[in-house]
Amino acid sequence: MAASVRYLLKPWTPSVCFVRWSRYNPYYLDPDPSKDAVPESELSVEEKELQELKTVSPIKAALSSDTSSAFSDPLISKFINMMMQDGNKILARGIMTQTLETIKRRQVEKYHKSPAAKRDEVECNPYAIFHQALENCKPIIGLASVQKGGKFYQVPVPLTDNRRRFLAMKWLITECRDNKHRRTHMYEKLSQELLAAFTNEGNVVKRKHDLHKMAEANRAYAHYRWW
Amino acid sequence: MAASSCRGVRSILRKYGSCGKSLCVSRSKTAPQLPVRQICLSSSLWKKNLAAAGPQKFTQEFINKQVEEFEVGKRHLANMMGEDPETFTQEDIDRSIAYLFPSGLFDKRARPIMKHPEQIFPKQTAVQWDAEGRPFHFLFYTGKQSYYSLLHDLYEKILAIERHQDKMRSKGLFTSDTKQIMLTGSRWLLKEEMEEHLVENVSDQDYTRLIQLMEKLLSMPYCSLEEEFVLKFRRQLEVQSSKQEIPVIQYDPQGVAFSVSDGRRKSAKASITLRDSGSGNVTINGKNYLRHFPILQDREQLLFPLHFVGMLGRFDIEGSVEGSGHSAQAGALRLAISRALLSFVSEGQVEKMRQAGLLTADPRIKERKKPGQEGARRKFTWKKR
Repeated sequence: MAASVRYLLKPWTPSVCFVRWSRYNPYYLDPDPSKDAVPESELSVEEKELQELKTVSPIKAALSSDTSSAFSDPLISKFINMMMQDGNKILARGIMTQTLETIKRRQVEKYHKSPAAKRDEVECNPYAIFHQALENCKPIIGLASVQKGGKFYQVPVPLTDNRRRFLAMKWLITECRDNKHRRTHMYEKLSQELLAAFTNEGNVVKRKHDLHKMAEANRAYAHYRWW
Repeated sequence: MAASSCRGVRSILRKYGSCGKSLCVSRSKTAPQLPVRQICLSSSLWKKNLAAAGPQKFTQEFINKQVEEFEVGKRHLANMMGEDPETFTQEDIDRSIAYLFPSGLFDKRARPIMKHPEQIFPKQTAVQWDAEGRPFHFLFYTGKQSYYSLLHDLYEKILAIERHQDKMRSKGLFTSDTKQIMLTGSRWLLKEEMEEHLVENVSDQDYTRLIQLMEKLLSMPYCSLEEEFVLKFRRQLEVQSSKQEIPVIQYDPQGVAFSVSDGRRKSAKASITLRDSGSGNVTINGKNYLRHFPILQDREQLLFPLHFVGMLGRFDIEGSVEGSGHSAQAGALRLAISRALLSFVSEGQVEKMRQAGLLTADPRIKERKKPGQEGARRKFTWKKR
């Protein structure tokens, strides 16, 4: 009875009320909208098991921001969602498109101005620049506030991948919103910051280095961490 | 006062089910007089409080008699309908009853039914104590004897496996990569199914504890010793791709194949006609989709299913959509296009589309506002005084 799809698709409320819950039954798996399938031989044991599980489990609906096209990038989608304010996805996506266009224009200009020997080093793909810039902004170690003996110490702490990505994106966005001249557009400032981060310069990378220095300075309190 | 205390005592005795004892307790006047011949009794198809039903209302002989009458009645029904009594299935019975007793009642549970007595009469607990009032099961006084005895057995098995492990270790034959139980195509019994199995009420915490113990059993290397015990609590999951409803391909007078389907998202309703031998034109509500959806993301969503199966320029899409906002309309159209595409696509592609999330109707809706809060999640401004 309960193995039927209709039972599982019914609007589902959890028996014990959590704060974050979704309309999907927990059995539903996340969709994978990408078009190319990895051939069987390259999958590891866990991935094969996951494939088998997918054939018998129901799958959630694909999001409205995901497509199977080569231009949809999960990292870019995440960044657009983080930039979005009050649900204005149209504006956020427009800013992102303009940023990528500006980056492309600048790089192509640089490409044409540089001598023939140096042309190979100029990266023109805005997606590659975005990925590399984000990598350069990600902190490796973070600080957590731990209370011991009535005082609060900043303890160096390892960060998960999701947290690192989140911090990098957050710093980029806050930097572009706050430290700019009133008349510059968001996309101009963002493209400047991304191009600077690509070459390990700029305020965001500086902020990352400051965090690393603080963690290094507070190395003595590392044993206060119990997790 | 004496009368009220007598009533109180009676109610207490009734609650603890001591009707087996020879006390002068009058039976409640509301106990129904059971008719001798029952064909239709639909009340017990509802979820019942199994444990609180108390000791048996129907004796085993009564239920056996009902089963015999059901079998005889089934053969009579088959003869009446002119069909072979040997191969008369439950579906045939349902069909015949619906034909012979047509009912216009809206509630399906109120209509005449004829089912096997095991499905009609609820599973009951037998009387759990002997003539002297001494309970049979050693865990009776826990209140949930089947549940605790199940936990007890489970723990016994865990200990047995540990002893086996120690034995293997002492012999030097211990290996971690022993045969593991195949669990991929199955799921644990749900809480309701567990209640049915144990004929007792199981709370959420009890159920979680039981599943935790089962997982602990499964985490041990030699768990394959107890494979059949564990598999009793698993249900096979069916392969999902076989459940998709594929719309029928129709042909218009020119011989062009087309299929029609619907889709919904939030409160947007969409209807699509997918025509073969087209050139990739998309018309929504009579106008080009560029006019109806000025946003790029919505147009991407419309073409997503076609791009996924690689048939972008092959079809002409003609659609109508109403309700909700632009994003929900695009989502409704996408679902309708995916469903219409199923009739032009192979089985493997259907499964791939399902795993890409194209064939699931998105159940997300706007979360309701709660009383005492400003919105669905936002609370009122906290004021200290």
